[in-house]
Amino acid sequence: MSRLELAAAGAVALMLAAAGAIFLYAPTDALQGPVQRIFYFHAAAGLAAFGCFAVVLVGGFVYLWRESDAADRLARAGALVGVVFTTVTLVMGMMWAKPIWGAYWTWDARLTSTLVLLMIYAGYLLVRRLAEPGRQAARFAAVVGIFGFIDVPITYFSVTWWRTQHPSSIVVSDALPPEMLATFLFTMACTLVLAAVMIAVRYRIETLTDLAQSAHEPARIISSREPEPAR
Amino acid sequence: MSYLMVAYGFAAVALAGYLVWSLRHLRQLKSKREG
Repeated sequence: MSRLELAAAGAVALMLAAAGAIFLYAPTDALQGPVQRIFYFHAAAGLAAFGCFAVVLVGGFVYLWRESDAADRLARAGALVGVVFTTVTLVMGMMWAKPIWGAYWTWDARLTSTLVLLMIYAGYLLVRRLAEPGRQAARFAAVVGIFGFIDVPITYFSVTWWRTQHPSSIVVSDALPPEMLATFLFTMACTLVLAAVMIAVRYRIETLTDLAQSAHEPARIISSREPEPAR
Repeated sequence: MSYLMVAYGFAAVALAGYLVWSLRHLRQLKSKREG
């Protein structure tokens, strides 16, 4: 078992412990009932996605500053893992919204800005996939990643800037009972560990893919040369 | 209750599926590089 596989096993064990806290330790909400338990991982996954997009932001800046391939790989890894966590956040939110609001989806500022966030980073990944690998694609993607991050604070503060159906942060407003707060903070910590492991695995994949591509590069150049004229 | 199960079921399948797929992809790349 490699170090990354061990780290992944550790992250899965932590997530199982978090599930234990969510389903066995946290009390049932008096108003919403068991469905409120969606909150713990829904919010944690959303914040983990913001963290992943912050990695894309930092990777983008470092790439533009130093043209570091490692920073570009880190940004690519952060974007993919961030898209996975944003998708989980949105689907879990829809499953929570249906019994509480009576609809899976509403074009509310928080939901809409989160969907836009998903589209921005899905677009980022599409650019990386379709563009010919190289400096131009990496630069363009870095700019998309940096400007795309503008939507992160918009999404986070949307519940305070606009009147939304989505509730404002109950963790910041100190409205959670201690057991619920402890469960949320533990789930948050475990989710951040999982996200970090996922980024590390993806970073390694990107590194090996880049190495394989650069190994093929000279062969491609040689094979595309005009044949030597016969003497 | 079913919404709770669907929500956590989706999260588990998506994240565990992604993690397993990544680790398998990584193993393939490593073995290709070594082989």
